[in-house]
Amino acid sequence: MASRAASTSNAQSWFLHRITGTFLIFMLITHFWVQHYDQQTATISHDVLSTEQIENDVLPGYTPEAEAAVEARFGETAEVTPHDVVMLRLADPVYAVLWKAFNILFLIVALHHGFYGLNNVMSDYIRNPMARKTAKVLSWSLALVLFVVGTYSVLVAGW
Amino acid sequence: MAVDTIDQPAKSAASQDSRFQRYRVRTGMFAWMAHRLSGLALVAYLVVHVWGLRALTDRASFNELIAGYHAPIFKIGEFLLLAAVVYHALNGFRIVLIDFLGWSPNQKRLFWALGGVAAVLIVVGGYPTISSLIDYFFLAA
Ligand code: HEM
Ligand code: HEM
Repeated sequence: MASRAASTSNAQSWFLHRITGTFLIFMLITHFWVQHYDQQTATISHDVLSTEQIENDVLPGYTPEAEAAVEARFGETAEVTPHDVVMLRLADPVYAVLWKAFNILFLIVALHHGFYGLNNVMSDYIRNPMARKTAKVLSWSLALVLFVVGTYSVLVAGW
Repeated sequence: MAVDTIDQPAKSAASQDSRFQRYRVRTGMFAWMAHRLSGLALVAYLVVHVWGLRALTDRASFNELIAGYHAPIFKIGEFLLLAAVVYHALNGFRIVLIDFLGWSPNQKRLFWALGGVAAVLIVVGGYPTISSLIDYFFLAA
């Protein structure tokens, strides 16, 4: 690898890594708020389910706020399942497009930051240049697959 | 620090020495090691997370996935995930502050101050999870 080109692009990537890290603070706060703390949209409830319950298809229970919102959206008789709670956002007639855009942006930033970081760690421990290159190609291929799969799921869900 | 070391000579006596020193435990070493380990844990989580989210497109399999995440072992994992995110985010923020603002504060004090903030966030944020785990294991009839 030509050393000058390599070190210039390293400095840029290093800078970008700090930017993506800073963005992730805000995105993760939003993500945790939505998934855990917002009484209406939290996907994960405080219930702990035993193995038997899970085998018998018992679903976690949701708050009255979540139930009311699901019934208002999907009809009085709608069952309140995890999927319906998530669809409050991902199938929203107005805001779904924003949630999908947020998720895809979050996906890109997290994958970039995570896999760039992973490559830093790998090149600290893998001394052989050929092995290092292989690890790099394999890890970024995985990131690309996750980008395609993740974008597809979040776009198709609810639309 | 984790910059690409590809251009460094591989095996001079000097680099052997410095490689050895890298593993000596010093004060900043703990912060760095924990940052690295939490970062790797988050990458592992992200891979599993996005792969699992393929279920989003099918109601029944998504419900099965999320119900499974309410098993005790995953609830414990959820707490550990919170701890990893909070530590990595705050320590990362400390690194960014020092790098971008050219801040040269009392390094140790800043580290411990943010450590205190992290502890509070982990305890407050993890309280619902931990208390429902305690209910499940010790108080359930
Ligand atoms: C919450 C916001 C985050 C901030 C502020 C942040 C910040 C940082 C910073 C500044 C570094 C560079 C450390 C250095 O060069 O010494 C870093 C490294 C890293 N980050 Fe993050 N990060 C965040 C979230 C994440 C997430 C969500 C992941 C996983 C998907 C992740 C994975 C990594 C990895 C693997 C490294 C490399 C560790 C190393 O080189 O030792 N980070 N992070
Ligand atoms: C236990 C904690 C978490 C839960 C319950 C959770 C749940 C979810 C759910 C249900 C979605 C689907 C989209 C939506 O609801 O809007 C999602 C998307 C996403 N999550 Fe999480 N999440 C958690 C933690 C994390 C963490 C720590 C990260 C970062 C490393 C992360 C990164 C993402 C990304 C990037 C997406 C978008 C994926 C896509 O567009 O396909 N999540 N999460």
